[in-house]
Amino acid sequence: MKYSFYPGCSMEATAQANLKSIEAVAGALDLHLEEIPDWNCCGATVASGVVGDFTQQVMTARNLAIAEPKGYDVVVGCSSCYLSLAVTNKRFKEDEHFKALANEALAAGGLKYDGSLRVRQFLEVVINDAGFDRVKEKVKRPLTGLKVAGYVGCQTVRAIPYEFDDPEYPVQMDKLMEALGATAVDFPMKARCCGSSNAIAATDIVVDSALKIFQSAAGGGAQVIVTPCPMCQLNLDAYQQRVNQLHGTNFNIPVLFFTQLMAVAFDLPEDARALNYCIVSPYEALAAYGVGK
Amino acid sequence: MEQKNNQPVKYDLNFAREIYSLENGSYIKQCMQCGMCAISCATREIMDYSPRRLFNLIKLGKKDEVLEANTMWQCTSCCTCKARCPRGIPIIDVMHDLKKYAIQNGYSDDPRAAFYKAFWAEVASRGKVFEGGVTARYYLIRGLDELKKAFAMKDVGLNMLRHKRMPLLPPKKVKGLGNLKKIIRKAQELERKEAGR
Repeated sequence: MKYSFYPGCSMEATAQANLKSIEAVAGALDLHLEEIPDWNCCGATVASGVVGDFTQQVMTARNLAIAEPKGYDVVVGCSSCYLSLAVTNKRFKEDEHFKALANEALAAGGLKYDGSLRVRQFLEVVINDAGFDRVKEKVKRPLTGLKVAGYVGCQTVRAIPYEFDDPEYPVQMDKLMEALGATAVDFPMKARCCGSSNAIAATDIVVDSALKIFQSAAGGGAQVIVTPCPMCQLNLDAYQQRVNQLHGTNFNIPVLFFTQLMAVAFDLPEDARALNYCIVSPYEALAAYGVGK
Repeated sequence: MEQKNNQPVKYDLNFAREIYSLENGSYIKQCMQCGMCAISCATREIMDYSPRRLFNLIKLGKKDEVLEANTMWQCTSCCTCKARCPRGIPIIDVMHDLKKYAIQNGYSDDPRAAFYKAFWAEVASRGKVFEGGVTARYYLIRGLDELKKAFAMKDVGLNMLRHKRMPLLPPKKVKGLGNLKKIIRKAQELERKEAGR
């Protein structure tokens, strides 16, 4: 199947491991991703705090307008980008007044969006379009015995509640990890906030949020945390040492994109696993699954 | 709001009306003060007022209390309250409106206000966000003292550099940047017109 793909800014910078592993896993599952040409920033949840929701959503809609002629579902890898694109798309479908105004603005750049597309997350596409059975078929190195904490984060399941999983206690990514042969641990904080974009301007929020998440994951005995979200991954990975320094803890839990762990289980090449981007080393936890430096 | 001696407290309804006229502002009138947002919030413990209390202060017209509060800046847009609110108030979107209103009205002492401005300046100049650019712009706005604080975090930065997590060069600008800017300008013009309706 073919899809239009919206990578988002972080995949070109802090989350290159996400892009590499998504592309490789998609290829292995025969999901054909075509990048939306000349896509622009979705504004995340920050732009609307400066210019308002309408302007932010119109900016986001430029991407949908460019993708619309192909008619493919739009697949998004980043949770925050998904929130922007999915909520904007929903407004085009449900709010005629908004749609007319937004198209008036898009027309200033020679574009128009009819609201005909479907916006989806890569996680959901893997689960619903490829399916657990196809995933199981592709597993060459079952992750038997590996205890995984599935950190779904906030926006993945709450951008559009109940769209594909429970917004309070999601289970779909855990099932995907089980399809790889891993064991999903009990993880009460799996949908809790990671502190989001506060890393620079209010670091304490990220450190305090991360502490609670690590305690919860470690409480379940997790050896690895996986997430679909670039912001969650960065906060938990880059600030883990800082959490340990400030709280006297000794966490050493690698934080991977779920697609990186899929690449390990599928036995895809090192470039697809992209483990060298991990700040907390994953090599010890994954040594039993054919992963070496 | 100036309060004279022996005079009863006056409600500044003009402020409430102004807030209600923001994009998502009228939802505030739906709040029934149940407190679901407060118990759901990931950052409630460090907020000056929970969303519930902030909405009440808006209804009472307490302009300074509302705009000087850190509440909207502590909101991380995690959507928990929005998903749970029994009155269907899109609370995170109301918080976005309040951030914008605070910045426009000169209440932008909170470091996050500088971060938001830096983020937007980055989007507006290349159509994409370059994290290095946002960080640099943030410290330009906040000044030297803030930069000193950043040195305490240098290990985080060095670790990111070492693992190729912090490119030093920005991505290419969006090719259609000129058109994107025209779209944004038109959207802002339409938004202002709508607010005045």
